[in-house]
Amino acid sequence: MSRYARRAIVIGVVVLLAVLPLVVQDRFLLKVFTFVGLNALVVVGIALLFGYAGQVSLGHAGFVGLGAYTSAFLAVRVEVPWLVCVAAGALVAALGGLVLAIPSLRLKGHYLAMATLGFGELMTLAFREAEPVTGGVNGFSGIPFPAIGEFVIKTPQQLYWLVWFSVAAAVLLAANITASRPGRAMRALHGSELGAQASGVDIVGVKVRAFVLSAAFAGLSGALYASIVGFISPSLFTTAASVTFLAMAVIGGSTSLAGPLLAVALLTLLGYLDALLPGLSGTTGELIQRFQADIYGLAIIAVVLFAPTGLAGLWRTRRGT
Amino acid sequence: MTLLSVREITRRFGGLVAVDAVSFDVHQGTIKALIGPNGAGKSTLFNSLTGFDRPDSGSVEFDGRPVIGRSPRDVVRSGLARTFQNTQLFDSMSALENVMVGAQAHQGEGFLPAALRMPHAAAEDRDASAEASRLLRLIGIDEWGHTLAGDLPAGIRRLVEIARALATSPRLLLLDEPAAGLNPTETTELVQTLFRVRDAGVTILVVEHDMGLVMEVSDEIVVLDRGAKIAEGPPRMIQKDPAVVAAYLGEEDVDD
Amino acid sequence: MPDVAELLQFVIAGLKSGSIYALVALGFTLVYAATGAINFAQGEFYMLGGMLGVWFVSLGLPLPLAVLSAVTATAAVGALFELLAVRPISDGNPLRIIIVTIGGSVVLRQIALHLFGPDELALPAFTTGSSLKIAGAAIERQTVWIWALTALAVVGLVVLYRKTTFGKAMRATSLNRDAARLVGIDARAMVTAAFALAAALGALAGLAVAPLTQTAFDVGAGIGVKGFSAAILGGLGNPIAAVGGGLLLGLLESLAAGYLDPVYKDAVSVVVLLAVLFLRPQGLLGGSGKEKV
Repeated sequence: MSRYARRAIVIGVVVLLAVLPLVVQDRFLLKVFTFVGLNALVVVGIALLFGYAGQVSLGHAGFVGLGAYTSAFLAVRVEVPWLVCVAAGALVAALGGLVLAIPSLRLKGHYLAMATLGFGELMTLAFREAEPVTGGVNGFSGIPFPAIGEFVIKTPQQLYWLVWFSVAAAVLLAANITASRPGRAMRALHGSELGAQASGVDIVGVKVRAFVLSAAFAGLSGALYASIVGFISPSLFTTAASVTFLAMAVIGGSTSLAGPLLAVALLTLLGYLDALLPGLSGTTGELIQRFQADIYGLAIIAVVLFAPTGLAGLWRTRRGT
Repeated sequence: MTLLSVREITRRFGGLVAVDAVSFDVHQGTIKALIGPNGAGKSTLFNSLTGFDRPDSGSVEFDGRPVIGRSPRDVVRSGLARTFQNTQLFDSMSALENVMVGAQAHQGEGFLPAALRMPHAAAEDRDASAEASRLLRLIGIDEWGHTLAGDLPAGIRRLVEIARALATSPRLLLLDEPAAGLNPTETTELVQTLFRVRDAGVTILVVEHDMGLVMEVSDEIVVLDRGAKIAEGPPRMIQKDPAVVAAYLGEEDVDD
Repeated sequence: MPDVAELLQFVIAGLKSGSIYALVALGFTLVYAATGAINFAQGEFYMLGGMLGVWFVSLGLPLPLAVLSAVTATAAVGALFELLAVRPISDGNPLRIIIVTIGGSVVLRQIALHLFGPDELALPAFTTGSSLKIAGAAIERQTVWIWALTALAVVGLVVLYRKTTFGKAMRATSLNRDAARLVGIDARAMVTAAFALAAALGALAGLAVAPLTQTAFDVGAGIGVKGFSAAILGGLGNPIAAVGGGLLLGLLESLAAGYLDPVYKDAVSVVVLLAVLFLRPQGLLGGSGKEKV
């Protein structure tokens, strides 16, 4: 695909996303699209970590939770301005990524995956049990809307734009990274650790940075979620959620940002198909919602068996690029 | 001047002595070959010389500095590069991109300059791309530049790995069987390439089975057999050395 | 002066859950030895065992037959899963196998949800009667069943591996696939067998403990983490280590819950998992993986 065609598509998508709240009036629908954005923010990070650097994480929901609870705690208990809360959320999550990455560096493949799983489970436990800080099983409520100075961001349109603006910034950073040396370093690490070492790549540094960056994106998403929905609980940040995020990256395909983003949109919207397409018969919509999890489970299997490079790979082969 | 100094390197795996007190020097500006029957310990030795493995005893000095105990990356950055017998390319990237990774061996690992599209990062990428193209042309494989490494024929893969190793600006290049999988024409071209590389100031230590190439290219040869050095010297001398002949051909008599 | 009866009670509880973990851990170890990969769906085999057992009982089968059928059926599911989803990629990257088994675990859980609903279900105890009293501690009859069945399974495995041709073939395959093929062993069938056995062991565990804890479509994930922690505590790839790891994990959990706070029960397995991975990935019994009984 020519650079111009690609650029045109990107601009088209950006315009579409920007204009969407002006066209879609349904508050519920707008919320759904906002959730797509929140998921996308996490998945961009996972696309870098897994799709490019080849490191499996089964615990990213833990970083989302870290960001959410940090931000919520600061906003409600310490009453710190919203921007600081969100920045702190991303920062704490990034620190969490660092703390996890360092001892995990020597671990290969599946051992790393299990370490991230352990981390995710630990976070879920912590969120559940640290009641004074997190509100425990009953969750943390009363989180105020985002606010910059006196201006409160609270209409569905404004919240949508806030999230998608963040997504755009994240995608821009990620795209810059993947198109240049760090992107090649990640792909080198994934392609052959020996070859990467022999080519002067600092594989430790790359792994850590990929972890920390993806954790930061996840934490940012969590912090935004907290202030948008106003209520968070440990059941949001479970291993099942982590698996879902990873699934979106797997299905979307490796060495690609567009693929995982498309997968995020498809899989998130799948659950709200009846709201999206009112013309869809009630039973079909119900059916799809009942089988939503089945669909993405089967999709994971199908991708691994038949299309290992995911949606992105299918697109590339189709185009012969 | 001695660029690489290998002293009494010994490496055991369980009861097997893979490398047995091997010592030799590599002088700057020369091409030295390391030969020996299969299983003679050549690749194991390479690993010990480049930080990928730690020998049980012995020492290695490159450019006056000890090598043992340093990480492979550190070794590369100090000017000692290598290729692998089992080519380790990055299959999802093009040949050009593979070489670019090597070209940027001396840069920092930060994500931030690239993320923010800072001008010096972009300039570095452009330079790396130019350097990678130049090296591919030097080796004669620039037509494969945009092919994915995973799609390259075996012989070309080895050459790309050589280009990538050269991209790290080494002073000493360790090549592990670069001619494997090359046809006679390609082998001749490889010989010319090795001369060009040497003339450009890169010293070469090459492990090879192709005796024709070895004889043509080497200034000096080291022969290993079952982990131990059995001969060292210029090609003509090695050719006639009875111990070498015996190692390769068993106890058969050889008519000159 | 610690209360001996209380300690004994904790030990009994620990060995009870430990036996369950041992069975699940054995399942992980079997698949790991055969494929070099971690089977994320192992927990779901445990779940399926319990659920199928309840279903067979509801169909009118006497309990022993229901249990046997559930184990066999789950083993069949395991084999089928391997044939469809794992065999096509079995020569590739173990990471792909992990991901495919993640997908499989989702699908299996969903199937259970669709077939059996979201509620908790109960399996009758294998034998009725009051708890046994030994040295001041009470042992439920079902606990004795759990121990008996676990011991039976372990002994069965040992016999299988040491005495039968089939078992020896499995050992050979896990030690050296290519050599095994050369002597005529169908390596791929051995992998299928490993999955079937792992599923059977998981199902047995699920059935044995279902009368005590009830079962539901979503119990798989939790037990999976614990079972894996147990397997890696002992050392992945070593069946004896798996059993030891399971019992040890159960004891640690029980003692922590009893003497510290019940809250810590779930934390123990996670802490153990991370500690082992970071400090001693080869597990307590060391050995890099392919040692068999």
